[in-house]
Amino acid sequence: MIEIRNLQYRTVHVDHLDIPHGITTIIGRNGSGKTTFLRLCAGIVVPDAGTILIDGKPPRQTDIGWVNEFPDRNMLFSNVRDEIASPLRFRNSTPGETDRAVQRIADRLGIQNLLSRQVQSLSGGEKVLVALAAALVFEPGIIILDEYDSHLDEKRYLQIEQVLVESGCDYILRCTQQMETAAKSDYLLMLENGDFIHEGIPPDVFPLLITTIFYPLSWRAGL
Amino acid sequence: MKLVLDHLTLVQDNFSLTAHGEFLEGIHLVSGAVGSGKSTLALAIAGLISFESGSVLRDGIGPMMLSFQFPDYHITGMTLEEECVSWGCKPEEIFSPSDLHGKNHQSSFSLSRGELKQFHLSCLLNKHYDLLLLDEPFSSLDCESKKKLCHRISYQTTGITIIFTHEQVILPRVDRIWEIKDGKLLDRGTLPDAIRRWCGASSLIKKLIAQEQIPHNISYEDVLEAVCRT
Repeated sequence: MIEIRNLQYRTVHVDHLDIPHGITTIIGRNGSGKTTFLRLCAGIVVPDAGTILIDGKPPRQTDIGWVNEFPDRNMLFSNVRDEIASPLRFRNSTPGETDRAVQRIADRLGIQNLLSRQVQSLSGGEKVLVALAAALVFEPGIIILDEYDSHLDEKRYLQIEQVLVESGCDYILRCTQQMETAAKSDYLLMLENGDFIHEGIPPDVFPLLITTIFYPLSWRAGL
Repeated sequence: MKLVLDHLTLVQDNFSLTAHGEFLEGIHLVSGAVGSGKSTLALAIAGLISFESGSVLRDGIGPMMLSFQFPDYHITGMTLEEECVSWGCKPEEIFSPSDLHGKNHQSSFSLSRGELKQFHLSCLLNKHYDLLLLDEPFSSLDCESKKKLCHRISYQTTGITIIFTHEQVILPRVDRIWEIKDGKLLDRGTLPDAIRRWCGASSLIKKLIAQEQIPHNISYEDVLEAVCRT
């Protein structure tokens, strides 16, 4: 369980929130605090007050894979293979282990053809795939995805969804603006001006949004 | 006015793309998978990269603008107001009607990425361009903002607007659909017939086609109307 108590950081306030194992999706307007909340859960920033515990440990003592929506901001190396290998190299994995793990994740994501490319030559969507590979390559217990699907087409998104489900991560925490994606989550949270106004499983939360554009179109169609 | 791509061939490290066709006044959608070359084609049309062969003819086209996928690439001002002025906009026109009211003197990077994209598009769409190239304009925007952007794009009653995107749910009404597939730009034609030929249509639209409930166009409202017919 991810347990959040009396959290306060900039505009984000959470008195009491428990996030269960599985895929949890956060939805909300631009500027509502989604990215800030995810950065807190990832340990990239620490709260001004309150605690976040992931299975009893603070985020900075947990192995977390992070994917920024603008992956350029997190990329350290100019070559794709080096970028994906970097989390393992920073953990002093042997060259052999690193090479095998990079190959394995590239195969799973279908990006073998990108390994020898320069990062700056990649398209926006390809950069997201490389960032995702780097986040998954060290097999973290939790992966946090900040609107990773914003730059992906449907086919790629479905492929990645499968990889995420099979990744063995205890927690997949993500935000998205695609409500069809949100509908496929185990747990759904809606943020508004820094406060969670709805939480629960999608069939409980979405009916509360039926008069808004956040309600999935496929649900309206009964498909 | 018209934009003519005359047997244009773009070759990069890992792919090649050929494009041949005429873009007349109206709103065009160019869809394609990740890495298919949408952004590269936009850059070539804007004259920002060279191409292997063929030509780009901008016949009778005056002011032209390309909006990059990542709004960070556009920033030149230290504050939002400076950024606004750099686009030739009056700050009161951009800040007053938006959620950014009172944030004039904040750093451009103080905004969330969605807010920055909204701000960037507000500045850009405040002016008229004969040729407007929008590369993934919907990425980073929330559902409400996507819908507002669709309405805003619909105001482009003159000129050529080309939207390069893989967004499938919240789109404006368009006049023509193009698709990049297997290294070629393919003309799927005008609406509504183009919908049947559009390989990149959403699963929902494909299901509607299977039920012979073809939306009149690809906007959220048109698809919703088709959904309500089922």
